[in-house]
Amino acid sequence: MKKSVVSKEYQKLQKEIISLQEQWKSSINADRIQPNLDKAAMEAGVPVTALAAIDFDIPLFLQWIEDISELLSKYQPDIEQSMESLKKSLNEETAKRWIDEAFAFNYVYFASFAEENSLDQWIPSFVAETVLRPYLQVTAEKVQDEIHHGVHGSGCPVCGEPVRLAQLEGEGKKVLHCPRCSAHWHDRRVTCSHCGNNDHETVKVLTIEGESAVQIQVCEECKGYTKIIDTRQYIVKPTPAMLDLNTIHLDFVAQDQGYKAAGETKQTN
Amino acid sequence: MAEYIKYVDVTKCDGCRACMVACKNWNDLPAEPEEFQGSVQSHAKVTANTWNVLSFIEHEDSKGNLDYLFRHSSCFHCSEAACVKVCPENAMHYTDFGTVNVDSDKCVGCGYCVQNCPFDVVQLATYKDKNGKEYKKAQKCTMCVDRLEEGMQPACVTTCHTDAMEFGTKEEMLKKAEKRLSEIKDKYPNAMIYNPEGVGGTHTIYVLAEKPSVYGLPEKPKVPTSAVVWKDYAQPIGKMMLGATSMALVGAFVSNKLFNKEGKGHEEEGGGSHE
Repeated sequence: MKKSVVSKEYQKLQKEIISLQEQWKSSINADRIQPNLDKAAMEAGVPVTALAAIDFDIPLFLQWIEDISELLSKYQPDIEQSMESLKKSLNEETAKRWIDEAFAFNYVYFASFAEENSLDQWIPSFVAETVLRPYLQVTAEKVQDEIHHGVHGSGCPVCGEPVRLAQLEGEGKKVLHCPRCSAHWHDRRVTCSHCGNNDHETVKVLTIEGESAVQIQVCEECKGYTKIIDTRQYIVKPTPAMLDLNTIHLDFVAQDQGYKAAGETKQTN
Repeated sequence: MAEYIKYVDVTKCDGCRACMVACKNWNDLPAEPEEFQGSVQSHAKVTANTWNVLSFIEHEDSKGNLDYLFRHSSCFHCSEAACVKVCPENAMHYTDFGTVNVDSDKCVGCGYCVQNCPFDVVQLATYKDKNGKEYKKAQKCTMCVDRLEEGMQPACVTTCHTDAMEFGTKEEMLKKAEKRLSEIKDKYPNAMIYNPEGVGGTHTIYVLAEKPSVYGLPEKPKVPTSAVVWKDYAQPIGKMMLGATSMALVGAFVSNKLFNKEGKGHEEEGGGSHE
């Protein structure tokens, strides 16, 4: 989209990262991922990847880190040195640890890693997340046929990422898309995808003047929001990751109005 | 950039006219109340403020059966557009998408495009300036170029609930049209794909159930010869002649300077004419 608030340059970088990830995905042997589709766990909202047995190819993982470092240095020559020291500080041992921590979204670990190795705060978590995604996406592709619905409040049924993006399909079906692992699942139209509230009085819609294809569904119960994009109107459908990035102004609008990316779970007592 | 076209399958259209509403809505066009014209059709044809009209045709086929035909009609966005050819101000132009648009700042309202459009689509809209003086500008469907620039499909296409209209790459849409044609050939033996070559193909192609003339369309539209003569011959020659005249002027000036030294000859000649 032309009118995105995101700069052309950053969009280009993200597109290159995504195509790099696509390249990496093709080098993953899908048989090394054994998802365990435990019905009870899925009903309880446990993400599929948490139970899947994934046999990570560590040398490949380290190679990817090199690839992404190269790409980032190309766009930001002044971080080349940091990237070099990052590569030096990584070995098989830390790579394994990284995978675990990236899975768990452990920002504290990555923050301390950055501090120990005197790197910019964002670098380790960004790199770890970028190189983990291909595995999540391959897992999602493998189990997509079994993913029909999510558990409200548990985020993406495959990777656990909080819900924030939906696309409209067919006659207006709301399909939630995970910008992290690209899994998608159906949810009812007038239902908060965070807390499951389906009271039409408290599930509201914010619209942006002049943007006919976007809505922000907000919930007065949990104060969560979901961006709903009518991509049926698009000429070419973007990847969920790019769509999420290019609609970032909706996140600003929603958060400005006091809504949160992940809804609050109500305390029962 | 891939070439995109609008594909209209009239056999899927149910005449709901949502495309007309979507067009008025998106392009902010004023309503044009019309008298009852004897059929469900609202306007006789597209106008300067109604860029998209659904035509309803009561057609009797060769066996004497009545068929009720619908057609979404708007600008065809010809690849070799007569309006672009004849426009003296270059207001009519091709966009990056291959569609044809009017640059209102350049348009002087001369109406050549109106006279030369083989499909009778372009019309002049009348406006009033702040002094109350009337002026005209050519207006027509823009294929929602402001939406295309945003990566979105035209408004009429997105609103169509029977999928009679689609927007996609030329290759894909032509393939779709061929496939659809083979499906409906049994029911409509005269069915055809309307993508006339005389105007270099169009950016709105149709799958028609009957011959084009049944829908009030020209069977073999082409860029009028006068338009070709005007733009391809008359204008360049005119410019050449302008060049020749200015060359002659320069020549005269130089020769005057060279051959009438000290300005004598000039004075004498000038003086002579006064007598």
